[in-house]
Amino acid sequence: MFAYLVRRLLLMLVTLFGISIVIFFLLRIVPGNIVDILFAAAGYVDPADKANLEKELGIDQPLVVQYWHWISGFLRGDFGYSYVSEKPALQEILPRIPITARLAGLALLFSASIGIPLGVISAVKQGTKLDYALRVVSLSGLSLPSFWLGLLILTASVAMFNQMPIFNPNPATWLEAFATYAVPAAAVGFRSAALTMRITRSSMLEVLRQDYIRTARAKGASDAAVNYQHALKNAILPVITVIGIEAAFLIGGLIVTETVFNIPGVARFLVEAIRWRDYPIVQNLVMLIAIVVVSANFIVDMLYAVFDPRIRYTD
Amino acid sequence: MRSVRALAATAALSLLAFSSIALAAEPKQGGILRMYHRDSPGNASIHEGATYSLNVPFMPVFNNLVIYKQDVAQNSMDTIVPELAESWAWVNDNKTLTFKLRQGVKWHDGKPFTSADVKCTFDMLMGKSQQKFRQNPRKSWYEQVNDISTNGDLEVSFNLKRPQPSLLALLASGYTPVYPCHVSPGDMRTHPVGTGPFKFVEFKANESIKLTRNPDYWRKGRPYLDGIEFTIIPNRSTAILAFVAGKFDMAFPTEVSIPLLKDVKSQAPNAVCVVEPNNVATNIIVNSSAPPFDNIDIRRAMALSLDRKAFISIMFEGQGDVGGTMLPPPNGLWGMPKEMLESIPGYGPDINANREEAKKLMQKAGYGPDKHLAVKVSTRNIPVYRDPAVILIDQLKSIYIDGELDVVETANWFPKIARKDYMLGLNLTGNAVDDPDQSFYENYSCGSERNYTNYCNKEIEKLFDVQSQETDVAKRKKLVWDIDKKLQEDVARPIIFHARTGSCWQPYVKGVTVMSNSSYNGYRYEDVWMDK
Amino acid sequence: MAAIDYEVELRRAGAHATVGWRRVLFLAQRHVLGAAGLVIMTLFVFTAIFADFIARYDPLTIDAARALARPSLAHWMGTDSFGRDVFSRIIHGARISLAVGIGSTALGGSIGVIVGLTSGYLSGWVDLVFQRVSDVLQALPLLVLALIMTAALGPSLPNVIIAIAIPLIPTVSRVIRANTLALRELPFIEAAKSIGMSEVRIALRHVLPNTLAPLIVLATAQLGSTILTEASLSFLGLGIPEPYPSWGRMLSESAAEYVRTAPWLVIFPGIAISLAVFGANLFGDALRDILDPRQRG
Repeated sequence: MFAYLVRRLLLMLVTLFGISIVIFFLLRIVPGNIVDILFAAAGYVDPADKANLEKELGIDQPLVVQYWHWISGFLRGDFGYSYVSEKPALQEILPRIPITARLAGLALLFSASIGIPLGVISAVKQGTKLDYALRVVSLSGLSLPSFWLGLLILTASVAMFNQMPIFNPNPATWLEAFATYAVPAAAVGFRSAALTMRITRSSMLEVLRQDYIRTARAKGASDAAVNYQHALKNAILPVITVIGIEAAFLIGGLIVTETVFNIPGVARFLVEAIRWRDYPIVQNLVMLIAIVVVSANFIVDMLYAVFDPRIRYTD
Repeated sequence: MRSVRALAATAALSLLAFSSIALAAEPKQGGILRMYHRDSPGNASIHEGATYSLNVPFMPVFNNLVIYKQDVAQNSMDTIVPELAESWAWVNDNKTLTFKLRQGVKWHDGKPFTSADVKCTFDMLMGKSQQKFRQNPRKSWYEQVNDISTNGDLEVSFNLKRPQPSLLALLASGYTPVYPCHVSPGDMRTHPVGTGPFKFVEFKANESIKLTRNPDYWRKGRPYLDGIEFTIIPNRSTAILAFVAGKFDMAFPTEVSIPLLKDVKSQAPNAVCVVEPNNVATNIIVNSSAPPFDNIDIRRAMALSLDRKAFISIMFEGQGDVGGTMLPPPNGLWGMPKEMLESIPGYGPDINANREEAKKLMQKAGYGPDKHLAVKVSTRNIPVYRDPAVILIDQLKSIYIDGELDVVETANWFPKIARKDYMLGLNLTGNAVDDPDQSFYENYSCGSERNYTNYCNKEIEKLFDVQSQETDVAKRKKLVWDIDKKLQEDVARPIIFHARTGSCWQPYVKGVTVMSNSSYNGYRYEDVWMDK
Repeated sequence: MAAIDYEVELRRAGAHATVGWRRVLFLAQRHVLGAAGLVIMTLFVFTAIFADFIARYDPLTIDAARALARPSLAHWMGTDSFGRDVFSRIIHGARISLAVGIGSTALGGSIGVIVGLTSGYLSGWVDLVFQRVSDVLQALPLLVLALIMTAALGPSLPNVIIAIAIPLIPTVSRVIRANTLALRELPFIEAAKSIGMSEVRIALRHVLPNTLAPLIVLATAQLGSTILTEASLSFLGLGIPEPYPSWGRMLSESAAEYVRTAPWLVIFPGIAISLAVFGANLFGDALRDILDPRQRG
């Protein structure tokens, strides 16, 4: 187990190193740099000014030098300066993280609190009309483009209440704070709720077929006791796994949702930074996201190891 | 009894109405104006940008030497008023422009404003100072300025190579604020310091820009507002929904499209909306250095195929203007009269006749119903560029040209144009001031950076100089019309239309004037107040 | 994971008939939702193929005179701001969405199969390298990767397909690899080896066909999400450019402005996307139930 842990951690570092290479060079392949964008607004490019600026920002140096400069800085916690705002990149990124984290947290909460119970019901009532209805609803959750859903929600709320839940950085009341986060979180969470429900359902079904459940039933345990005490407890592990992994994949949904609801979180910020070719922001932010994703996967694996003794770790 | 009551009620009502009128005439102090912003500007330094995404939020931080009167919609020489200058005079055979400066003006950081600041600003703009801007998009405005001289703390002179009456117009633009000597260009990009009615508070990229009232503003009793807060909302539908839902006092100026105006009007009937030209011309840049458009016949055919009315009806529901380089009258000061315009090939009202002629030219060049010409139309990946390009491609179909849209990311657009790596390009040209010097030199003079097509006609270039030195406005107008006509006939850069856009604000916002021949100059906002 | 015997599974599910159509009928009864999905998918493919005959107008022709017309008998789904018929654009848009969906799934899927097979079959350092590359690709959010890829390649139909396909590779290769690893241990592969079959031949003749079932399940499941990814890219301004009538593009930027004045511009393309993805998902679910009983619901 200990050897596995060490091996797993080493692999994590290798992956992160790979990500840093991929993101660094991928960004350099994207045509145009910050200087081109800055001059685009001016309507022309002055070659001398351009060369000066590229020198000032250090993007005229050989790529290997640039990479070393960046990665050594990243490891020291020095994220450099945003090309656009000329402020420390860390200072630009950090305040936006809690906003996205809150949104993601609420979305996951939404996903778990709706997805798990519905999944259980669907499994227990397998084959009934209710099961079918729930499955259709969950599939439709996976089918709606979340930006479309967001746009419809905004339009409907203006049409019906002449109000809209637009982001307020300093909400006056708890209610307002809830509204600024809850509605967008629901728009993103719908998709992951659907996913959670599906996983819960199939996981439950698998457990319900196991021998020990049959034994419990044979011993005369009530349906409810079987379903909720025995089955759910055992079915929950894969669900947690999926929720854990989904937390990382939420970022895609968050990008479009933050755009539609105009929420100044990191997800939209990342897209803007890509548009501006703001390398220090994109590189460091992607690395941070990757660290979260890789750690989430790691934790999930560890959870498995702890909770499910049937899994052996030799890989 | 009832009638007495009614009478009393009427009297009370009229009194109320009367008092509210009286109140309306008397501007109120206070309140923070909330406006959404269409886009996060790259930085906060007006001199280092060329988009009004920068002017709108940061013009209130500064003052110019002179400024277009903020409550008159049409900018002209007659509406220029002193700001940091108290007066100006043309001396030395109109070759020196001298300003007497205002006394006791302070920068937002408390340092006094002097003539040295003016010299610093314009030396930097001319590229003559130690400190440099990262980029300096309007350097060419000062081509005719030899140097800037000061005489004591309160007098400054622009010494010109030759008379250029339009210099004053350029100095009155929102693009021409005076910067402090003691703040570096880098600091001005992140934390601008000005003398203007509002002080800069913070700029969070992609999020918000905040300004607060300057209590020590040199103009007593101004500004009325306690501050201005811009929330950056790039998604237009979200932005307009938020305005309609009352989350904002004002929509971003000149950013409400004509179709959206209807939406605003139906949902928020009390909102005040105006539609004005923004002096942005949508035009076609033609690569005449390579086939097929090195052939003047094909260039002419393309110009003849344009149905400008159709563009305007699709994009602006009819509310746009057809013109040459200069914004057409009545809003534009220098545009050709209608009869003159219609005599230019392609501008005639009979589109079918024009297209028949165009087809003949195409056939002469070897194309026809069986042999179409395949053309790439390049443009930027932004709706205001893309939409007209789609219409253009549709119209070119009528003269045996099969167009294909080539959408280019912002970062690659100008490098691509500079490489001459295009056939046709759909481009937008915004004019900071409604002035021939600015338009002609920038877009059509040989060797100008923004003369994308490299159109170069020495004859016309001489005429540019003649009109530029002409002090008699009527005579200058004639010259300008002739130049403009010739530019269109040469198909140097065919102008498709001049856009109009809407600006909306809530009824309680007062003192807003939307300029009718520029979208870069009307955002000082010191006279804006809120009646609530 | 063992090889899946389709016939055995059918019988276990209670099907005794061997005649083709009866089997289909049986499956349709047992998987009502899947059958519905299949119908939607068929309709979708049919529309894409015969778009030229179904559409009532040219999807690109601009007509200022009929701009922003409400849905009517002449224009079932109204017209857009250019006066283009929305119904015709949606019909032709099916082509684009199908091209993106099938194109990127096929591309990502086939590269994934090659990588997975090689990785699982060869093991050793090849496997190690492939695995690490997969780790890297999977740790990058799919939409972010696709965004940077389209920015790098430029917005065009083939480039969008490539950009969406690449993030699919690790997902597919992982499943194929796991399957291959399991298969390698099975007696019939051992047998093939003992009679002197070449490794490549074993991989192609015996291993590949036996990984087909999970591959099909995975591919159908991905079909829907690729369509959604394209829509998101277009929404963010990086998808397939005008004038192609891509559903995502029809919903993006300028169209979204009309959500209140001309809601048909926003509602119909949204429904088209949702329906196509919904159909793909329903069908994918049923396929999984049939082909991959371990996951059976």
